[in-house]
Amino acid sequence: MTANVSLHAVSHHFGAFQALDDINLEFAAGEFVVLLGPSGCGKSTLLFILGGFLTPTRGEVLIGGKDMSRVAAKDRPTTTMFQDYALFPHMTLRDNVAFGLRMRGQGKALRNTKADEMLDLVGLVDKAGRKPHELSGGQRQRVALARALAVEPEVLLLDEPLGALDLKLRRQMQEELKAIQRKVGTTFVHVTHDQEEAMAIADRIAVMNHGKVEHAGSPEEVYLRPKTLFSANFMGDLNMIPDNVMGRAAGANMVYAARPENVGPSGEISLGDATLEEASFFGTYHRCHFRAGDGTVYVAHLPVGELPEKGQMVPLFAAHPMTLRAGA
Amino acid sequence: MRTLGWLYMAAIFIFIFLPVIVLVLFSFQDSRLPVPPFDGPTLKWYVQVLSDRGMMAALRNSLAVATISAAIALLLGFFAAQGLARVRLPGSVLMRGLLIAPMTVSYLIIALGLLTVFNTLGFRPSLWTTGIGHVVINLPLCFAILFAAMGDHQKNAERAARDLGASDMQVLFLVTAPMLKPALLAAFFLSVTFSWDEFIIAFLLTRFDVTLPVEIWSMLRSGLSPATNAIGSLVFLVSIAILILLELTVFRKSKT
Repeated sequence: MTANVSLHAVSHHFGAFQALDDINLEFAAGEFVVLLGPSGCGKSTLLFILGGFLTPTRGEVLIGGKDMSRVAAKDRPTTTMFQDYALFPHMTLRDNVAFGLRMRGQGKALRNTKADEMLDLVGLVDKAGRKPHELSGGQRQRVALARALAVEPEVLLLDEPLGALDLKLRRQMQEELKAIQRKVGTTFVHVTHDQEEAMAIADRIAVMNHGKVEHAGSPEEVYLRPKTLFSANFMGDLNMIPDNVMGRAAGANMVYAARPENVGPSGEISLGDATLEEASFFGTYHRCHFRAGDGTVYVAHLPVGELPEKGQMVPLFAAHPMTLRAGA
Repeated sequence: MRTLGWLYMAAIFIFIFLPVIVLVLFSFQDSRLPVPPFDGPTLKWYVQVLSDRGMMAALRNSLAVATISAAIALLLGFFAAQGLARVRLPGSVLMRGLLIAPMTVSYLIIALGLLTVFNTLGFRPSLWTTGIGHVVINLPLCFAILFAAMGDHQKNAERAARDLGASDMQVLFLVTAPMLKPALLAAFFLSVTFSWDEFIIAFLLTRFDVTLPVEIWSMLRSGLSPATNAIGSLVFLVSIAILILLELTVFRKSKT
């Protein structure tokens, strides 16, 4: 099951604090959406509003075209995978996964079959009789996923589900999440502050800051053609290019910038001669700090083997400069 | 230093358990007074106590009052704790304080207050009024234990249950109560032992049917006898049994 999601002019206040400010977003059915932003940007608040745990101060939430603003969490076609998994410690994995079906009045045999199917999907069917405390963090997380998917929600909400895992396991789980999402076809809305994670799994990323959506689009769009300085900065490293180097003014409240991989010995914009001050090796590239004549420091990612001597002065160029709106 | 530690520990245990050991020992005394020298052993006092109808009735009364009042205190304490832990109410700090306050009041004052109230309302002193008194002293205990056991972990599991379609009642009985099982058992058994041992409230609020501590007290008025030691040993045995039960059910499970 899957459904599209529309948010119309959604605002939310906690007392005097404005957590969300006029959010307008459209997610297509079956999309893997990532809400990305620093802590306190309102992404979790937005997720809780989608799940029905918070009622927005203003605006409306439509799931599958139906207004959900007055519908309680238990009656929504959404389920949530919580940050701390929130498994029921006194139940076996099978009972955990079957819980939602039990609440829907499904018979024991039927719901256990379905629970085992879901546990099979996440590769834990052989542990169906165990209790959650016997599992590792990654396994608990899979059980939480199976439990949330067992009731066949139209939209699955994921609240920083990978935050507690170590890096390697996190990367592995990202791939699994994406594969499972493709298999079940449910719309996933995933919250994270990790831009690499967002790029790895999302069909669409909504970059959020201070309760607003800075940019929503495909990973390629938000990385390569960001609209604002904030989202460009959040998606990756950035070199600011002064207006005089570009030879023209960016405009009121606008700036020029280029990604480190687009700075190097060739390109359409000359940054002048620059001295290599520092370089470190990252396996697939050298990360270099160049200081230009006017004192500006540029970060460049150079291909392996194309590293100049330290202290050497080389002509530096930039390609694909971006024009960005510099915050409010 | 090490030997000193062991000596200290031994001294502490002797200090705590000597009265009990003496009590139990002289319940086997084969003469009319439970004082040294010990001559025995005999079980005649146990025979006497166990065939004493009044004593056995009091024992049954005590068990009934203890289990029923503990069950009621537990239920009320559970609902109060759940309510105050989950819902943000105006004055919830004050309400929490008021719920726990009876713990700081002496049993004598509580008993006097209850006696006055029951007199005004026209209730005769009975096992029921004693049971109510025991709910009054055990409710704060149950509330405090359960409230402390309700953490964020629990709150999140309840939210997840609601998200999966559980109604409030289903959340309460399928998630909240099972997760709190160790605390619920601890609160219940502690309430049972407190009610089982309680004298002042039971003394002031009973008349014809009495609980065991009251019966023992009236027996003591006719002077010391190994029979009082025997009944004391039996009471101690019941308390120990409850403690062992608690240890086996609650604390062993909470370790896993």
